[in-house]
Order: sequence, then structure tokens, then C-alpha cells
Amino acid sequence: MANAASGMAVHDECKLRFLELKAKRTHRFIIFKIEEKQKQVVVEKVGEPTQTYEDFAASLPADECRYAVYDFDFVTAENCQKSRIFFIAWSPDTSRIRNKMIYASSKDRFKRELDGIQVELQATDPTEMGLDVIKSRAN
Amino acid sequence: MAQLAETYACVPSTERGRGILISGDPKSNSILYCNGRSVIIRYLDRPLEVQVYGEHAYPATVARYSPNGEWIASADVSGTVRIWGTHNDFVLKKEFRVLSGRIDDLQWSPDGERIVASGEGKGKSLVRAFMWDSGTNVGEFDGHSRRVLSCAFKPTRPFRIVTCGEDFLVNFYEGPPFKFKLSHRDHSNFVNCIRFSPDGKRFISVSSDKKGILYDAKTGDKIGELSSEDGHKGSIYAVSWSPDSRKVVTVSADKSAKLWEISDDNNGTVKRTLTCPGSGGVDDMLVGCLWQNDHIVTVSLGGSIFLYSASDLDKAPLELSGHMKNINSISVLKSDPKVILSTSYDGLIVKWVQGIGYSGKLERGVNSQIKCFAAVEEEIVSSGFDNKVWRYSLHGDQCGDGDCIDIGNQPKDLSLARLSSELALVSFDTGVTLLRGTKIVSTIDLGFTVTACTIAPNGTEAIVGGQDGKLHIYSVTGDTLQEEAVLEKHRGAITVIRYSPDVSMFASADANREAVVWDCATREVKLKNMLYHTARINCLAWSPNGSMVATGSLDTCVIVYEVDKPASSRITIKGAHLGGVYGLEFIDDQTVVSSGEDACIRLWNVTPK
Repeated sequence: MANAASGMAVHDECKLRFLELKAKRTHRFIIFKIEEKQKQVVVEKVGEPTQTYEDFAASLPADECRYAVYDFDFVTAENCQKSRIFFIAWSPDTSRIRNKMIYASSKDRFKRELDGIQVELQATDPTEMGLDVIKSRAN
Repeated sequence: MAQLAETYACVPSTERGRGILISGDPKSNSILYCNGRSVIIRYLDRPLEVQVYGEHAYPATVARYSPNGEWIASADVSGTVRIWGTHNDFVLKKEFRVLSGRIDDLQWSPDGERIVASGEGKGKSLVRAFMWDSGTNVGEFDGHSRRVLSCAFKPTRPFRIVTCGEDFLVNFYEGPPFKFKLSHRDHSNFVNCIRFSPDGKRFISVSSDKKGILYDAKTGDKIGELSSEDGHKGSIYAVSWSPDSRKVVTVSADKSAKLWEISDDNNGTVKRTLTCPGSGGVDDMLVGCLWQNDHIVTVSLGGSIFLYSASDLDKAPLELSGHMKNINSISVLKSDPKVILSTSYDGLIVKWVQGIGYSGKLERGVNSQIKCFAAVEEEIVSSGFDNKVWRYSLHGDQCGDGDCIDIGNQPKDLSLARLSSELALVSFDTGVTLLRGTKIVSTIDLGFTVTACTIAPNGTEAIVGGQDGKLHIYSVTGDTLQEEAVLEKHRGAITVIRYSPDVSMFASADANREAVVWDCATREVKLKNMLYHTARINCLAWSPNGSMVATGSLDTCVIVYEVDKPASSRITIKGAHLGGVYGLEFIDDQTVVSSGEDACIRLWNVTPK
């Protein structure tokens, strides 16, 4: 099989959706999947701005890796409304090793295509991307 | 949210053949002692309120308040002294490596500027005195050749330090800077404790040769001794002066404490002998004492603390006791008020009552060690490190005679069918044994390495967990087990399985930090992702109404989950027990009791969000 580290194409739609999230705030989250046969990263699911963190966590499969971008809104100590864009590398312990390897080696190149990520997080089980972890990283 | 409601503290760790030193603060009426790596501060008027300092990396040996009550200096077996604040969350001021071996005694100077520490070490470093904030030495202490068991600072000027040790010598140093002045060899055995009187006129040394000798505090000459008529018949381990400097209390291996009146010609006569009310075994040897304000505190080898009132010596003493070692399991009896039984591996079973605290030790005929333990209303079943399982009947406070059976293998886990307590399931390395009463009904070799087991309250179903993380469900028919299903979800050896009180669900936990709640009838996962611990889960408990599950782990945390809500909405109690949480039970729907490696039991009030 081809070397998964380099040469993983990023589908145009990924970049377009990300720009929409960043500029026009039309999505709450985007979930990306690597299609092995096409050797591409494609958009799997997009979330409405009205959807919550729980909906996002529920859309991640429990035994397959994914990349995800989440727009997190919070209020700071000085009462300002702020938002942070999180990149979550979802790599559950229960997924297959080949799966984890492909996602891990392509992650860096993919992230570089998305300009404007503020916080990066790797989660190997649901507890590592719990809401309290997100809040503490958003500071 | 969880709040600490009560703490049932551990007792000082003691060693046969040596005394221990406890100290206190007259202003806040508290005493300080050490157990394992923790220093425990106990308030004499509020025994359920206990503060624990757990920052030592090695077992702590002695701790003392500074004269102004603001700082505590504590020492451990590695020769390190830590100075920390009493208020403000025990913030550390300074840490010094004072000796190269264990520190046996530590004293502040009366102005709080200097500290003298004594113990054992190599070559010269048996005693060192230093400034408390900078650590610079303030004297040279030669003159001892063996372990220095105790040291004392004269409470009034001119400053003097006295030390005594295993080489039978009592040494007197003048300073600062402290230099050797003279030494006495009046004792014929280890000199265990040496103390100045609060008025600074005299000091007394007590020894394993059953004698106590008084000396003049300014010159160091011997001026008198404790009279030998009616004296102690065993080694004297510790001595403490009364605040008015007229009386001393000494404790000894002959299981008694004696009050001596020191007359003007500097001889002591026995005024009163206090024998501790105990069963009279080795555990009753007294090893430590303290006279503070109106209280006389004595500590026995078994760890019991007795509080006498100095003004009213006829009053029976208040006994505070507890565990000295890791508490490995707890059981709650359904009486009213709730009685909690806790066991530690050295075979001690202690009864506690919610709201009152220590309520007695359960004496068993044979003091075998305990590894697994289960209790229902009238019966206790326990197993230790040998192949026997013991059953005792429980009548109120006493344990009846026990019967034991040899099951041929070392029991790894034990479970009682709550409703028909005759039936017990004991698991060992390769299989399980079914017991009815004290008779082995059947022994079944299961073919896989068994790590945990449980039996349903009505005795019809049993679940056995293996090293590979698989849960095997069996139905109990008469004398045999029939395998019904195998559940695979865990990714580590199963450590504990428990049925919910209404038997509709069961929860299992493994060594890979995960806990899962299953539905009994459908055998489907009900609540998963309970992965919030960071080390193996040791124990698990259900609330009486079946709505909450609590897990306790080696990572010292207790986490309470609600079965109806997702696992992320959990209540975490961080740092519940230094060293790991080993026992956990719910007393009622709002209170959790937990026990751990630090030999303490804590009650927490849990209110669901």
C-alpha cells in the first residue's frame, strides 16, 4: 500500500467547510474521515450551530479514529464571550492499530491545511475529551 | 458534590521494644503523631475531626509544634526534617536533610529559632542542632557511639541540650554554639526518653533498666532518682512532665502508667498507678505518653490511645483506637445507628458507629490475618493468607466461636449470598468453591485464572471474572454451576463485581481503570465510559436505592456515578486516602464510607448534582 504519511490528499470540501466555520460561523463542528481507498480526507459530518457538545461526542464512533474540529463558546472570568476552535484527534484505544497509524501519520499534514486552529487535543477515550477537559484547555 | 463528614483516624504506628514520641499543642488542645508516611493532627475535644499531612516520602517518625504554635517540624526515617505551617493548608517552609539515618526525636528551642534532631546515622551525625530557617549548624555533638533515642532542649536560658541513647549514656551540652560538657553513665540499659521540666530546673531520663534519674538542669549533675519501691517492672519507654513541673507520668512495658510526685529533695515517689483496661496481652504494653493541660494521654503497643483526666484520676479513661495498617475492606451492618466493621490485613476487626467513632474491637478466638471479609447481620466470614475460611457468629459486640474449613487453595475473593447467608462463594486461582455453612458443597475447576467473583443475594446466580477481562455468568443449581453467558468488554483483569441491591443490575470493574454497569436480565451494557480513574479500580459499591455506583481506586480517588446519567457527570473525591482506596460502601443514599492504605476511614456526604 502507498505510504500513508505523505500523499494523503485533502479534499477541497474540508477546507471550504473549515473556512465557513471560521468566518461565517455556520457550523458548530465538523468531523473528518480518512477514506483509505481514495487516499483522501473527506468531510463525514457537519453540525448545526444549535447542536451541543453532547451531540458532537455522540457522532464520534467508539471504535474508529476520526479528526474533528469543534467551535467552543465560553464566558471568561471578566465576563467576555469568547470562542476557541479545537482540533480533536479522536483515536480510541478500542480501534484497530492500522487505523490509528494512518490517522496519526497524516494528522500533521492535515492540520497545516486548516489555518486557524487554536487548541489541539488528542483523545483516546471519551474521558479525555470530556467537557471539563475542553473547558480547562480553553482557559 | 462531596464533603468530608467524619474521619476515623488511624493510630500511631508502634514497634515492639521501642517507645514512640507523641507531642501536642496546649493552645489548640491537639496531639500529633505519625503513622506510615502521614502526620496526624488530632483534636482532643473533637475526636472525629482529624487533619492529615501526607507529604513525606518516607515513613514519618516524630512531629512537634513550634513554641508559638505556628509551625510543625516533622521528621522521617530518611533523616529529612520538613517544617510546615499549621494553618494555610500546611504550606512547606523548609526541608532539610539533617541526619543520614532515621530521626528518633526532634525538639524546638523555646524561642523557636533552633531545632535539635537526634537519631541514627553514620559516624558523627547522630545529633544535629540547626537554625530553623537557614539550616546552619549551631554546635558539635560528639559523645555518642550508638543510636541517640531522645533529645531535649532546656526551656529557659541559659540554653542546654541533653541527649540519651542506646550506649546507656546521658550527655549534656552547653551553648550555643553547643559543645559537649559532661556525660553520665548511670543507666544499665538503653535510655529511652529524656525531658526537661517546664520550669527548666530539672530533667529526667528513663531507661529500659526500669529506673528514672533526675538531674539538675543548669549543671547536669545527678540530683535524685525515682524511688524503686512500687516502681515499674518493665522497661520505661516514655516520660512526660506535668505543666506545674511537680509531677511526671511514666509509661512502661509492664502495661501500666505511673504518676510520680517529685519532692523538693529531688526524689520521686509513686503517687498513682494507672493500668490500662485491656485484655492484658502484648498489645497493652504502653509505649508513649504526654501530659498536656489537664489530659494525660497514653498510647499502647496495639495503638490504643487512652485519655485520662489529670485532675480526676479515678475517672475511666476515654479510649480512642483504630487501625494501624492498611484497611482492606469495610462492611456496613444494617443496624441503627449504622455500625461499620473494618478489617486490616493484620487481622484486626474494628467496630465504628456513625457519629460517635470508635466503638470497640472485635476479639476473635484466633487472630489470623484477613485478606477477604464479608459480614451480614449475625455472621462474619473471613479468609486470610492460608487456605482456611473462617465463619464467626456475631452477637452484638462479641464474636462467638468460629469454625474454619480448609478449602485446599488460597482464597482470592469471597462473596456471601446476602439473603441466604449460608451460601458463600469463594474463588481461588483456578476455580471456585461453593460453601454451605462450613461445609464444602462443591469445588469446581474453571480452567481460567479467576480474579473476582460474586453471588446474587438469593444465591441463584454467580458471576466470575477472569484475568483476561471476561465475565462468566453461571446459574447455581443445587451443587453445581452452569455457565450461562460470557461477557467481554473489559480490557484488564476483573478486580471486583457487585450486584445492585435490587438485583436488577450488576457492576464490574477492572485493573485497567474501567468500570461498567450491566443489566442483569438482558446482560447488556447499561452505563459505560466510566474510565475516569487513572489507576486500577480496587473496590466498588452500590447505593441502597440502586441509583448510584461508587468506585475507589489505587489513584486515591473515589468517583460516584449516577446510573441514569452519562458517566461524564460524576462526582470525584480526589485524594480520599493517601496510598489508594481499598474499601468502599454506601451507608445510606447520601453517605459513602471509604477506607484505604493510610489506615483511616472517612465518611463523605454525597449530593447528586
